[in-house]
Amino acid sequence: MSERGAWRLALPLALAQLLFFLSPLLLLAATSLATDENLDTASLAAWRDVLGDSFHRQAVLNTLRLGALTVLATLLFAVPLALLHMVAGPALKRIILLAAVLPLLTSVVVRTFAWIVILGREGVINSTLLSTGLTSAPIPLLQTEPGLILALTQIEMPLMLLPLIASLGRIDPALLDASASLGASLFRTLRRVVLPMALPGLLAGATLVFASASTAFISQSVIGGGRLAYLPSLVWQQAMVVFNWPLAAALALTLMASVLAVAAALSAVGRKAAHV
Amino acid sequence: MIEMSRRHALSATLGLLGAAALPAGPARAAGSMTAAVYPGGWDEALRAVLAPALKQNHGVDVAFEPLFAVDQIAKARAARGVAPFDVFVLDPGPRVSGMDLKLFEPFDPSRLSNRGKLPAGYADAVGAGVAAQVVGIAYNPKKMEKPKGWADLFRPEYAKQLGLTGFGTTFGTISLIEMAKSVGGSEENMEPLFEALRKILPDVAAVAQPAAMPGLFQQGQIGLMYTNTYTVTLLKSRGVDIEFAVPESGAAAFGTTMHIARGSKNIDAAYQYIDTMISTPVQSALSQAPYFFVPVNTEVKPGADVPMKSIDDLRTFVTHDWTKINPQRPRWIDRFNREMAK
Repeated sequence: MSERGAWRLALPLALAQLLFFLSPLLLLAATSLATDENLDTASLAAWRDVLGDSFHRQAVLNTLRLGALTVLATLLFAVPLALLHMVAGPALKRIILLAAVLPLLTSVVVRTFAWIVILGREGVINSTLLSTGLTSAPIPLLQTEPGLILALTQIEMPLMLLPLIASLGRIDPALLDASASLGASLFRTLRRVVLPMALPGLLAGATLVFASASTAFISQSVIGGGRLAYLPSLVWQQAMVVFNWPLAAALALTLMASVLAVAAALSAVGRKAAHV
Repeated sequence: MIEMSRRHALSATLGLLGAAALPAGPARAAGSMTAAVYPGGWDEALRAVLAPALKQNHGVDVAFEPLFAVDQIAKARAARGVAPFDVFVLDPGPRVSGMDLKLFEPFDPSRLSNRGKLPAGYADAVGAGVAAQVVGIAYNPKKMEKPKGWADLFRPEYAKQLGLTGFGTTFGTISLIEMAKSVGGSEENMEPLFEALRKILPDVAAVAQPAAMPGLFQQGQIGLMYTNTYTVTLLKSRGVDIEFAVPESGAAAFGTTMHIARGSKNIDAAYQYIDTMISTPVQSALSQAPYFFVPVNTEVKPGADVPMKSIDDLRTFVTHDWTKINPQRPRWIDRFNREMAK
């Protein structure tokens, strides 16, 4: 096959995407613009309900905020660990990598319920605090935003750590020596040499963690509880309990658009940095 | 090579002829069907008890599709009214939705050989009752006095142990209706409920998805919740400190029903499936450990935590009219979301 005909190799996947991804998505968009799932009558009611209602707007903001804060928290833990991995010997490297992948090997349901055991009123953290006398009453952790972010940080950590380790691993150690020999402090080397070169991995990690945390239906509903309103559980509720499919579709598209917008912004940052 | 393949072809043909000549024994399936079943306890119980009984009595093989009641309706709706299974199992709310959406075949109770063992009215023109649920208050006796009624849930010493769940499930909906009644509301007027909830909300121990409640109770996050006797018995059997309290206004009860899906190709097998489900041996096995169903067969005695001697007592329990509840429920769900949001 000539190089010009090579595009045909992509046909099967393109066709599958068209059938099983794009057409349901178009159906979703059509449903959001109708009065019910039969698509007989067009209506903007669902979109008015999403965009014009302060409760739904707040849910959008809560969801984006949760994604952003989880990205920051995973960065806080992943960057030092990835730097350690970069300079570590082969044995320690293996241990760090294993520890990074380990959470992926347990089911998300199990991980989420384990966090109830840790964060609960009679959970590990509160029992420890109470027995050491640091507090006299249990601190509310479960069903709070900080508790949820803490749990998501552990759950999403591999998505940040693995791309970061990969991109730091590609840095030639000679560059660090060169920077030091030219008189740069360790901090300056980190800022001017390591960070720019790690940026693609960092942005990939941030995008993955953001998309995963802001759509983490199980963790949000089980650890976050009923007092924190996020889009995924509203979508589920409208689709499966209330049977208001147009509203469910509009909420689902809003969630997708918000996550895509953040992903696009992050990738734009990456492109801009690459040109500097 | 040619010789080999000829010999293979010959033996294969003989094998086929031999298989066709075998007499159809009693073990051969008279049919097969698919039934929706609630995930978790129901799925486990029906696979272990009902499926073998159906195979033995009627030679019918059943495949189960684990789906919650609302998911069964949603699936049938998504498939333009034709469910991808033969039998629904539903709570009263989704049952009414299914009737409104015309998702069921007309049901002929006279085709059930065990019909006489059901209380009057348990098999009708849309389906048959196969189990009951009794809903009341579950509490941790080590942490509090036994609550007397629904109104106690709003008292500060109880509220700080209380786990709330919304109108998303049948047991949640009827419990909240009963709580509304205890503070001067009714099925038509939920305002007093939301007002009372607003007052205790800063103190309540948790507001959670229904499926998360047993776990929260087991972990001690909450010590008080509204639930069914099944959950209480199950948690108790796992060593959790939990007791069922019948509210002074009476425990609420509702039936779980089975229905034949519209357009089903396995109607005979579906009737046999429902008939076997309500038969005395199956109901008796399901009412015991580890399944703890509330039986609907009058020959079977309910378990220790179920506050009744026989299903006939169910008439004295608080019941609800879902044709009135269903139209209002989306509004209540939305309102609950907003009231709970921080």
